[in-house]
Formats: sequence, C-alpha cells, structure tokens
Amino acid sequence: MGGIFRDFFDRNGAGLGIFLLVVVGFWVVILIILPQLSMLDFSFRHHLPPPEMGGPKDTYTIEHYKYLVLGAPGADTSYNVVDLGVFGRTLIAALFVTILDLVLCYPLAYYLGQSKGGGFVRVLVLLLIIPYWINEILRAFAFRIIFGESGVINEVLLTMGLIGSPIDFIRANIALYAGLGYAYILLMIFPIYNVIESLDRNQIEAARDMGAPWWRIHWRIVIPYAKPGISSGCTMVFMLSAGALAAPQILGGPSSLWFTQIIYQWFNQGGNWPRGAAFAIVLLLTCIVIVLSMMRLFKVKIGDIGK
Amino acid sequence: MKSESYLLKFFLVAYLVVFFGYLLGPLFVMSITAFNSPGFPRMTPWECLTFEWFDVLAEDDRIIEGIKNSFIIGIGTVILSVIMGLAGALLLTQIWPKLRATYYTVVIAPILIPGVVLGISTLVFWDRINIMLGFTSDSLFNNGIFLTILGQSTFIASYCMLVFIARLQRFDTGLTEAALDLGATNVQAFRKILLPFMKPAIGSAAVLAFLASFENYNTTTFTFGKFPTLTIELAQKVRYGINPSISALAFIIIVLTLIGALAYEIYRRRQQLALANGAPLSAVSGGFQLPRIFRGNPAAVIMVLLALGGFSTIWFAQTYSPTECKLDVREQKRIIQNQRILEIQQQRQLQQQQKLLQGPDIFGGKKAPAAPGNTTRPQNPGKGSFGNIFAPKNLDKTGPKD
Amino acid sequence: MSKGVDVNLENVWIRFGEFVAVREANVNIKGGEFFSFLGPSGCGKTTILRAVSGFLEPSDGTIKIGGKDMAGIGPNKRPTALIFQNLALFPLMKVWENITFSLEVQGVGKADRRKRADELLEMIALSDQGEKLPSELSGGQKQRVAIARALCAEPDVLLLDEPLSALDLKLRQHMRTELREIQQRVGITFIYITHDQGEALTMSDKVAVMRAGIIDQIADGKSVYDDPATPFVASFVGENNVFRGKVKSIDGDMALIDTNRSGTLLARMASAAKGTLKVGDNAMMFIRPEACKIATDTSPAHNRLTAKVKNEEFEGQIYNVFLEGSEGKEIKMSLVNIGQQRLSARGSDLTLEYAPEQAVALPAGDLASE
Repeated sequence: MGGIFRDFFDRNGAGLGIFLLVVVGFWVVILIILPQLSMLDFSFRHHLPPPEMGGPKDTYTIEHYKYLVLGAPGADTSYNVVDLGVFGRTLIAALFVTILDLVLCYPLAYYLGQSKGGGFVRVLVLLLIIPYWINEILRAFAFRIIFGESGVINEVLLTMGLIGSPIDFIRANIALYAGLGYAYILLMIFPIYNVIESLDRNQIEAARDMGAPWWRIHWRIVIPYAKPGISSGCTMVFMLSAGALAAPQILGGPSSLWFTQIIYQWFNQGGNWPRGAAFAIVLLLTCIVIVLSMMRLFKVKIGDIGK
Repeated sequence: MKSESYLLKFFLVAYLVVFFGYLLGPLFVMSITAFNSPGFPRMTPWECLTFEWFDVLAEDDRIIEGIKNSFIIGIGTVILSVIMGLAGALLLTQIWPKLRATYYTVVIAPILIPGVVLGISTLVFWDRINIMLGFTSDSLFNNGIFLTILGQSTFIASYCMLVFIARLQRFDTGLTEAALDLGATNVQAFRKILLPFMKPAIGSAAVLAFLASFENYNTTTFTFGKFPTLTIELAQKVRYGINPSISALAFIIIVLTLIGALAYEIYRRRQQLALANGAPLSAVSGGFQLPRIFRGNPAAVIMVLLALGGFSTIWFAQTYSPTECKLDVREQKRIIQNQRILEIQQQRQLQQQQKLLQGPDIFGGKKAPAAPGNTTRPQNPGKGSFGNIFAPKNLDKTGPKD
Repeated sequence: MSKGVDVNLENVWIRFGEFVAVREANVNIKGGEFFSFLGPSGCGKTTILRAVSGFLEPSDGTIKIGGKDMAGIGPNKRPTALIFQNLALFPLMKVWENITFSLEVQGVGKADRRKRADELLEMIALSDQGEKLPSELSGGQKQRVAIARALCAEPDVLLLDEPLSALDLKLRQHMRTELREIQQRVGITFIYITHDQGEALTMSDKVAVMRAGIIDQIADGKSVYDDPATPFVASFVGENNVFRGKVKSIDGDMALIDTNRSGTLLARMASAAKGTLKVGDNAMMFIRPEACKIATDTSPAHNRLTAKVKNEEFEGQIYNVFLEGSEGKEIKMSLVNIGQQRLSARGSDLTLEYAPEQAVALPAGDLASE
C-alpha cells in the first residue's frame, strides 16, 4: 500500500497529489457515502421533535419500514395497500416509459449513427439537444398546455368533431407518460448512438449482400452490437423516471401518485423526516437491485454506463 | 425494389416528422401561448395578440429573486463540480487497477441515485452534523444555498467527470512524460500540458454543470430552504395556478438557447473554415460580397434574421395595444354568455312548467349561470393568486368552442 | 555543447510483479558513443530506456550517468533527454515554444527563449516554421523539431525510442544519416532503441541485441552480423539459413558439423563458441543467403550442397532463390544482380557452395521466431 502512495506522489508531486486526494475524498466520503449512511441511520430512528434528538427516546426502530409494508397500526387492511400500490405502479410506469423511449429512440439513434455526418445530421443533433437546455419544469408545463382539458389536442379533436367532450388526458396519465418519455429521450438516444456509430457499415452491407431482410439485420447484427448502449440507456431512463418528481407533480392525475411524491409529502407536508428517509432508502435499494440485475441479465459492466 | 425504397424513405421522413414534432411541438405551443391574452396559457382559441405577459414576468419579484438564487447556486455548483469532476477523472487514470472498478462505481453512482434521494440524504446529513456540533438552526449547514450547492454537486460532478474522462482518453501521457523529461516539475507539467489540453473539456463541463444546476428540481426541492431557485418558483407556480407569464419566460429561454446554439454553430464553422483554408483566409477581391461570416453559413444568416425579428417585435410591442381587441373579446363572450343564460332560463322555465310547480324554486334561476363562464373571463393578470381554479378538474369546461 | 558522459548499467533487474522485463543487464556506454538496443518488440529495450530516463526505477542494480548513481532522481532532474516513439510534441504549443519548453520551465525570459529557438530552428533547417503548430508540419519536420526540443535542454545523454518507425522508407533512410550527423556534431551520448536492424547497424558505434529481457550480445555492428554470440542473434540480425546437427570434429577455429539433413558441413566457430562447443554437442550452423554461390565444381565437399530450385524472386539489387535441399530442407540464396540472366528454371538441380569462414557454428539455442 505504501508503495502505491509513494508512486502516486512521485507522479503528481506532493501539492497536486494532496489536492487530488482531498478533493476526491471530500466528494466520495462527505458528499456521497456519509450522507447515504446517515440517511440509512436516520430511517431507523423515531420521529422526534428536535430537542429530544439524542435523548433517551432516540433509539433504533423499524417502525417506518413496518409502516410501508403493514400500514398504520389499526388500519383496516393488513398491508399498506396505498403506499405499496403506488410503489409498484411507479416501477411499472417507469418500465413502460423506458420501453416507450427505447422504441422511439432506437430508429433515430440508428439513423444518426449510420449516416455519414453532414449538415443535416448536425442540425438534427442540435434540434435534439436544444429542448434540453430548457427548464425541466417548463417542459412539463408545455405538456400540461397541450394535454389539458382545454389544451391543444382536445381543442383540435373537438373542432374536428372527433370527440364530443374533452378527454381527460391527465387523469388517464397519458400526459404523464408523454412528459416523462420526453424528459429522458436524450439519455436513451446518445448511448445507443455512440455505440452504433462505431459499428462498421460493411457488416450491414455484408448481411444485406447475403440476402438478410432489414429486420434480421437489426436482430442479428445491430442490436447485439448496440447492447451495451441500449442497456446503458435503459438503465438511466428507468432510474431517472422512477426517481422523477417534477413531471409527476405537474402532470400526474389527481388519483395517481408517484412514489417520490409520497416521500416528498413525508418531508414537506407530513413533517416526518425519518419516515421519508426510510421510504427513500427503499426506493434507492430497489433501484440498485433492478439496475444490478439488468446488468447481470444483459451482461453489461458498470464501466459501460455513462459512455 | 424501387418502390420499396420509396416506401422506406416515406417511413423515415414520417418518423422524423413525428419524432421532432414530439420534441419541438411542446416548445412551440408554449411559446405561442405567451402571446395570447387569456389568463390561462392556451393556444386555442386565439383571442388577442398581447405582450402584457412579459411585463407581468418582469414585475414578478419571486421569479427575479429565483433567477438570482439560481445564478448564485449555479456558479457555486460549477466551481465545485468541475474541480471535483476533474480530480475524480485524474485519479481514475492513476488508481490501482484492482480498485478502479469499485472507485468508478462509487463516483458514477450519483448519476443513477434518484435525485430525490440525494436531496434527502444531503439534508439529513448536514442537519445531523448541525445538531451534533450544537449550532443553531440558522447556521451555514442549514443554509439553503450551501445545501443546494453540495447536493447538486454530488451528481453534477459525476457528469463533469464523464466529460473529463472522455477527453483524457485522448490524452497522450507521453506528453506529460516529455515535459518531465525536459525538466518540468509535476506541477509545471500539469499546468502547462494537461490543463491546456483539458481546457475545452473544462469549458463544456462548466456549461453542462450550470445548465444541470439551473434546471435541477428533484434535489433542490429538499435543500433550498429559504432560497428558492427559479426552477422551484416555477414548479410552485405551475402547481398552484399559473398565467402565461411562465410561457413568456419559456419563450425568452428558448430564444436565448437558440441564439446560443447558433452562435456555437457559427464559431465551429469558422474554426473549420479556418482549418480547411490553412492559416490566413485570403480575401477575394472585387464586387459586392456578403461579409465573410455569412458566406456558406446559414446559421449566421438565421441569427441575423432572428435578431431583426426580435428588434421589430420589441418595437411592435411598444406601440401595439391589445386593449381594444380584449374589449371585443369580452364583449363577444358577454353576448355568448347572455345567450346561454337566456337558454338556460328558458330551459328552467320549461322544466318548471313541466313539473307544475312541485316546490319552491330553491335553485334560483339567476344564480346558476354565474358559476360557469367565470373562469373564462380574461382576468387582470398578475394580481394575486388564482387559488386552485386552474387545477385540472376545475379547468373551464364551458369556454366557447367555436 | 556539453561533452557526452558515460552511462553504466550494473546488474540491473526490472520486474513488474512476477514478470521479469529486464534480467541482469550489464552495459557500459562510453561518452559520445552512438549506442543501440536492438530487439523484437516486447524484449525489454524500451523498459531499459525508461529506467535510464528515470520514468521507472530498476528493481535491482544501479544505473549511473556520468559516474553518478541515479537512484531516486526523477526524470526532470536527470541530464537526459528522451525522444519519444510518437515524438510527443505538444500539440497546443507553437513549434518554437515546443523547442524551448525546457527553458520555459526554468523560467527563462521570452526574448532569450525566442533567440535560442531561432538558433535551433536554423540548425534543423526549419528557420521560418517557428510560428506554426506541430500539426502543420510534415513527418520529417516533426522529427527534427523533436530532436531540437531534446537538444535545447543541453542533455549529456540523448535517448531515442524508435523515433523513425512512423516515417516512410525514403525519409527513414534520410533521417538515419541526419541523426548520425547531428550526433557527431553535438558529440553527446546517444542511446537508440530500435527493432530495425538496418537502423542499428548503419548508425551505431555499438549494438546490444536483446531477447526477452536478456542482452545476448554487445558489440559493433559488423561483429554482431558476422560473429553472432547466440543463435538468436544470428537469426534475428539479418537473414540466415540454419542447419541443426552435432559437432563431429574440431580443428582449430573450424568445426565439422554433422547436420540432420544436409550431410557434414564445415563452419567457423563463433568467438562465443570457442571453448564451450565440444565434439558431440548439439550445434547450429548459420550460412547467410548472400554467402551462398553457385558452384562450378559439383564434386561433393564439406562446403557444398545440392538443392532443387523452388522459386525465384527478383528484388532489384538482388535475386532471391528459394531452394529445397535433401529431405525438404529449405535454403535461401541471394545473388547480386550484375546483369546476369535468370539462372535457373523451377525444378532444376543446383550445387551450392560457400566459403567455410563465412559460415558460423554455435551451441544450439533459441532462434528468433519468424
């Protein structure tokens, strides 16, 4: 171990070496690891007013986790149907958003990756990026304008006489899915695009030359090659939509909550921080498990993420 | 064979249209609503062209305050995350190979951790530190700006690090060795060789960090304390009733973004041109020519058109007054409403006649029409809150459908 | 300019974990010498260079430059300058800034640096190119800038890591001459790394031939070529026909080898074989293609072989003739093109002969893989 440190300081010199270690140490320990651990610790504490913290009543408990599974003591159902239901619905909806984005983005990523660059493609890429320089809230808000009861779509459909009364897109969660899908398009497109860009065009030509139809070319050549990009994109989109807060708050229907909204409520309206922390831990662990199993399933390494 | 390729081309074009319609349509619609006079942002029906929402925006102190906070936090986050991201990337290239995968997992994790969780953990951690150290609740560790910068930097530094790693992969470590060999100290080699090489990446990481910080909601919503950022203010407004001044802000941001993108494109083109033509561009003599920057540069032309459009719009906005049009619309609505009131009254009378006076008229024929129509009347914007009348279920259902 | 100084490697071992990159290297390089390390890729020659320049510490042994032990002295403190394989010119600095970088880090003022840069630019005949970026120069120009940059530091020892490998053939040959000239002009020690024997033989005062971390031979170019110390050197430097067999008898400098497939043949004992190669030992003998001639006298002798012509290649200055001896033994012969007609039809039988002094006998050992 000592040798490693000596090499490190030999390479960087003392000043720079110490600087690097301190900065990275601050980031990794103070910003990443300790807050997560303290949140974990906090989630096992009772909900106490500040003066009693650290007092005799401040003991460890699993009441908050119990609450998530079993509900409030004395509730009429034996499980916490509401919160668990929201949790499950959030994950399924996030999965749906992921699939939606994949289907929507794969063709464009392929087209961009295989075209030889040029002005048109540059314009397309610019058009792709520009919407993401605009605030997340405003993007969600735009969908509210479009899908609202007196929004553009309803107005157009009504004028054309296709429907008799406005459709409640917000209650049907269509606005939410459209908004979430919109929010993470870039995160799906760029990983896939980066991989496909490096695919040798001759492979596709060879397959075509051997008489493969287009769908087989994709199934046997392009998709297997693009797998790291696809799974990296899917992982990010899934995680971010499961953890999204803004879009569900703005576009979610009155009857459907997102799990993050429940956490938010425990912090802001409920004022029960330990319970919110416990819920956040559950969300974090679930996401980690899902990501790890996705990576195992598709045989992708962590190093492929973020390329 | 031929027809198949036409079909393919058709599908491609159709797909591109749908895709970019999905991508850009919402921004377009939102921009349009900034110029329509109804109190709730909407594109249809078109009532009156107005610029009043920009005035409303300029007078909204909370938005202005939010922008200020966003800038302070954004600058802090840029500094912190660029430094941490750069150090993280440099360490990654040097770390003991056995530790590398673990290290990479740890520093990339903040990207995958839900932003909500990052916000909560930052809040909880520093709150506990504060209690442990016995500070009061208004100490630095409970300060919204401090917490938000730390919370955002946790994951924005990972984004920056990815930018730096991509750049570092193209760095030839031989250059550093060459510098050392020529007598440079480690610090000199870092400052004179590696840093200049990383400069473009530092620039793009800083821009990325600033944008990410500016638009962050999930983390900030837990940490902002007494210093709401623009995004937080926007979210509050969007959730609890809004008027088109938000659209006006969106329009301004979209225009700024477009200008930024075009400027960048022009800069790139010029660089490429300079590179392609060798060192100095030799001037071609004779005849009228567009200034050099415009030649073969549609982006520049578009930018100038945009600027001209902007100026003329501002001039137009100064002179144009939508009052008359609004009065017209109000008058029209009044007529329609009166018609409706009449219709309803007639219906009531009909019903009452059919029921043959079965009981006293508790529903008060005159009160009934007052509720609908209420929300469609153009309001004086910017005066106080709208309460919850714009929540989805309360949205006007009786607006004119013509 | 500074006088060249000695470089001594004493018992140097370099290990990376389990892997031994350099094994017990003992090298004495005299001041002002042009010294080459020659070997296939992965033989450890670059590792030695990096140890001399200070980028890595030997696991064992000492490296002395100018008689001074270099242990613990970093690359920026050693009197060496390294020219990298890819040159490592700083892409964001102008040519003149590149050249005077060593002065810049010493804090020399800009005007002085500029003056020195102009001197060096003149020396490498690039006087008006100082303001350009390295990317705007041609391959040969970059090469010369790299040399100027290294010389600007006024090193006592210049280390060159295959600096010519990226150039095309013509330019490479031209740069060989130029490098040699510069070396003679500045008079400092050059240590040159290459896998190209042509470079090593033409430029060097001395060549060290390396194989898998071991230095097989240190000698001047002619000795390495004509009097190899091991079968590896014989087969790596230049081309050679190899005959395996046993020593039948030894008479003074000459040995009679009973080869496996080609009968008994006579060869000179290499200097390294004297005293170690005994009657009955496994031996290898080497005959260079250019040492073979077509015999006019076809009667059997210990310096004659019969073979069938398989193929013939015309290379310009020489003909290469590929032959098949008894039991399929492959033999290559090179004949200088002196205007003769093609001498042989495919399938015709020939008798070859060679001067026994030009054939070399060595104890059997590893050959350089093809």
